[in-house]
Amino acid sequence: MTTDAPRLTVVTAPANPVWKIVRPILSHGLLLLASFLMLYPLLWMLAASFRPEAEIFSNNSLIPSEISLHGYISGWTGLSRTFDVFFLNSFMVSILCVIGNLAACSLTAFAFARLEFWGRKFWFALMLGTLMLPYQVVLIPQYILFLNMPPWLGGTASGWVNSFLPLIVPKYLAVDAFFIFLMVQFFRGIPRELDEAAQMDGCSPWRIYWRIMLPLSVPVLVTAGIFTFIFTWDDFFAPLIYLNDQKIYTATLALRTFVDSTAESNWSGLFAMSVLTVLPIFVIFVFFQRLLIEGIATTGMKR
Amino acid sequence: MTARSLADATAAPAGGRAVTPSVWSRIWSANGAGYLFLLPWFIGFFGLTVGPIVTSLYLSFTNFDLLTDPKWIGAANYVRMFTADPKFAQSMRVTFMFVIFSVPLKLAFALAIALLLNRGMRGLPIYRAIFYLPSLLGASVAIAVLWRTLFAGDGVINDFLALFGIQGPSWISNPRYSLWTLILLAVWQFGSPMIIFLAGLRQIPQDMYEAASLEGASKWRVFWKITLPLLTPVVFFNAIIQTIEGFKSFTPAFIISGGTGNPINSTLFYTLYLYQEAFAFFRMGYASALAWVLLIVVALFTGFSFLTSRFWVHYDD
Amino acid sequence: MTFSIGRRQFLVGTSALMAASAFAGPAFAQDKRMRLAWWGGQARADRTDAVSKLYAEAHPGVTFDTWWNAFNDYWPKLGTEVAGGNAADVYQMDYRYLVEYAQRGAIAPLDDYIGKGLDLSDFDQDQQDGGKVDGKLYAISLGANSVAMMVNTKAFDDAGVERPTRDWTYEDYKSRAEAFNAKSNGMKLLADGSASEPAFENFLRQRGKALYTDGKLGWEADDLVDWFKLWADLRAAGACVGPEDQALDATAAIDTTMIILKKAATSFANSNQLIGFQAVITDPLDMINFPRAEAGSGGGHYRKPSQFWSVNPKSAMLADAVDYVSFFVNDLGAGAALGVERGIPCSKKVRDALAPTLDPQSQIALNFVSNLGDLLGSLPPVPPTAAGEVSTQLTTKSQEVAFGATTPEEAGPAFFQEATDILARAS
Repeated sequence: MTTDAPRLTVVTAPANPVWKIVRPILSHGLLLLASFLMLYPLLWMLAASFRPEAEIFSNNSLIPSEISLHGYISGWTGLSRTFDVFFLNSFMVSILCVIGNLAACSLTAFAFARLEFWGRKFWFALMLGTLMLPYQVVLIPQYILFLNMPPWLGGTASGWVNSFLPLIVPKYLAVDAFFIFLMVQFFRGIPRELDEAAQMDGCSPWRIYWRIMLPLSVPVLVTAGIFTFIFTWDDFFAPLIYLNDQKIYTATLALRTFVDSTAESNWSGLFAMSVLTVLPIFVIFVFFQRLLIEGIATTGMKR
Repeated sequence: MTARSLADATAAPAGGRAVTPSVWSRIWSANGAGYLFLLPWFIGFFGLTVGPIVTSLYLSFTNFDLLTDPKWIGAANYVRMFTADPKFAQSMRVTFMFVIFSVPLKLAFALAIALLLNRGMRGLPIYRAIFYLPSLLGASVAIAVLWRTLFAGDGVINDFLALFGIQGPSWISNPRYSLWTLILLAVWQFGSPMIIFLAGLRQIPQDMYEAASLEGASKWRVFWKITLPLLTPVVFFNAIIQTIEGFKSFTPAFIISGGTGNPINSTLFYTLYLYQEAFAFFRMGYASALAWVLLIVVALFTGFSFLTSRFWVHYDD
Repeated sequence: MTFSIGRRQFLVGTSALMAASAFAGPAFAQDKRMRLAWWGGQARADRTDAVSKLYAEAHPGVTFDTWWNAFNDYWPKLGTEVAGGNAADVYQMDYRYLVEYAQRGAIAPLDDYIGKGLDLSDFDQDQQDGGKVDGKLYAISLGANSVAMMVNTKAFDDAGVERPTRDWTYEDYKSRAEAFNAKSNGMKLLADGSASEPAFENFLRQRGKALYTDGKLGWEADDLVDWFKLWADLRAAGACVGPEDQALDATAAIDTTMIILKKAATSFANSNQLIGFQAVITDPLDMINFPRAEAGSGGGHYRKPSQFWSVNPKSAMLADAVDYVSFFVNDLGAGAALGVERGIPCSKKVRDALAPTLDPQSQIALNFVSNLGDLLGSLPPVPPTAAGEVSTQLTTKSQEVAFGATTPEEAGPAFFQEATDILARAS
């Protein structure tokens, strides 16, 4: 692994030897300070999750007056299903979404970035346009559409409502313009000589897409994959509208049932499970970002 | 340049089969590959996306109230918006302020940190993860409580300022500053553009740096002459996306002001107002009209950016 | 079954899938699956599910599909379902939205079922009336409650100030501010209630007026000027929290109230919320009435339905749905399962059976609502459509006054005009 091989060994450093020692200390110091600012929320959440419920709103300090596991126990077991059910649901939905999004968006992006066809700019503009309408006003028409999904498309009496299908299927049809646009920008950054050469050798567009574009696009594919996973994991509005049965709730949606602003709530459960819900996406991020960094080394991108 | 030559290549086998290719096969060979690749997107677009969008446009000319059938009322919603709705103007103002300040700041942070993290230094993967953490939290309820403990009158920020003898206001609930705490929240969640910048930096061919190194170019010069130009497609992407997302920004205000946009409508984001109209006040028709006005504003911005992009965005094609 | 913006308009859209969708449509009925929806937390869900279980045991063949969410998430989801023609058979309704749903035909009038499936023989009259719109019964109250102030008793004891009594006026709070503030370490006696519509309503009722009468404003601009002035005085005297603190409490959600944030020793709330409040604060809480406008003025409080069951008029099993609602409010076993979590039961025999079994906080709530005495007035007429919007606007206006952007004298007439306009536009 050549993960962190220096990449900008371009210029010889200033001759001053003191600077050579001070500089990394300074950089690390700055990064550490910034890290604390970034980490503070998680530390605070962690503290809140161990704090007795009655103290959560009246105590600013990072150190709880006493450690209580009540939040973790009541959070894990407090709903009608144990929390592992929600985690499994979230994992399933997120992973299926990642696969669909990567496949469908990269196909679409390849067409927009590299193929010539009639109406390309028109379709591209329309595609971007879909990004600009606030979600709130298409929600109801979309709900009715999914509610009326016929049996030959897997619809039940209430169509796709109360199943994962409304969350997953759209991802296989590249409805998320964000990712298409992202990939288009990266595909366009890949040197054109590569596919021109392949094309001279008689490669079909499919082979160029599969053999040249995808391997050279590992960084953006990993980025898109991580984002899809995290966005899907964090999303609560679509699950809120489409999932009724608690046994198919995602973790993020389950979290929102801990607290009702008008009635008895389980605040310590909320914070404890919030901590646990951030953990998997954090681990996934840490693990896959290595791919993002290694991407270049393994594909050996050279002109 | 465009992909004309590539499309011609696809044409080759088809053209070779027939001695005199028919009109159809010529159309097919010029367009077929593109449309084949777009097939999933077309199914999604026509099957899932267009219907709801067209419906929302139709609803914007009705008095739809969620509970009863919509009635056509012509342009009345649009007329009211521009003649008799002070909250429309207020929410536009709040949203523009938010976009103007949060987008450049967020991008600047994201780019600076990405550049810093792209270099050889110990422990960088950990830093990368840490800097992404705030973005992981998304719109969690916890963020609302946290922001209050930070920015309330007796919050952590003021405890810190007190060390210097400064008595700060309750930033989050004072109408003069409340929007700034939301801008700060947006900037603090700079993880996504940062990762995209990082991926962009990774895609810059190493040999370009090697060449520059042989020529003995200064770091500063390398950044301006190599890194930045090659990064422009990604900068462009981030700028467009962050602007669009900024205009559509909903969750920060929603969770922090409990959906009210208060104090004194100082955090009444456009989409928050739209949401209130739709779901709290039962005016989905009016909300749809609001949405379409936003779409036009955002489309103008985006279109303008695309027009200027040819002067500064550097593609390799 | 019709979908309100369902198939007809929809097919105008270009979607092929949508054309196909015309063949499918929800079909319930054959197996008696009853669908329920409500807002609340897990505690409420457990109690509700227990009642459904009892009902299913007594009615073989009936099963339940339920969903529930927190209050803020419940409404957009319910609205979406109603718009799609897919709402539950029985769903929970709030006083604030009752008129909107009733006048638009989204909930069924139940008068025809009274005595025929819907047993209200033992049901408090004021709670029946609370579910009526334009003279028709649209919703069955699931519990009575009243507005009430939460009181941090320890804060009063620590400051050496006697605890508030039912006779205290706003003036009485003000006169004790100095003594309280001397020892309270920044805590104030009162939250700033100027933005609270229930507090304003309570004040108006003590003056013999009402928030709304006949679908119009039941008060004059001067009443609001007096109200804003009253709070300006309290603010100046240090009896209530400052505007910056009060603005932290955007929606009267329990966790942001001044009493929980330890900014004030009391907070405006509802009698059924004591348990929710007590869970997130260590200091012991008690409950007292809203302050009197003047010594001896009463009638500000009323027994308000805390929430309702309503029945979907498009339900394929309307009679069963009504039967379930009737079971829910009358059955003693159901009553025992529900406790007072949704408010004090409205059936006297359920209430009597329940009283001895309650925990201390529920006991306090029950006693409070049962013994309002001279504080109790008659139930106000149902608010008109768009009342929710007026309430939102009141918050904004009161903040303008509190932050000094306008004066009580200007704000009163200005808001009166705004509210009149909002009501006019809605009707």
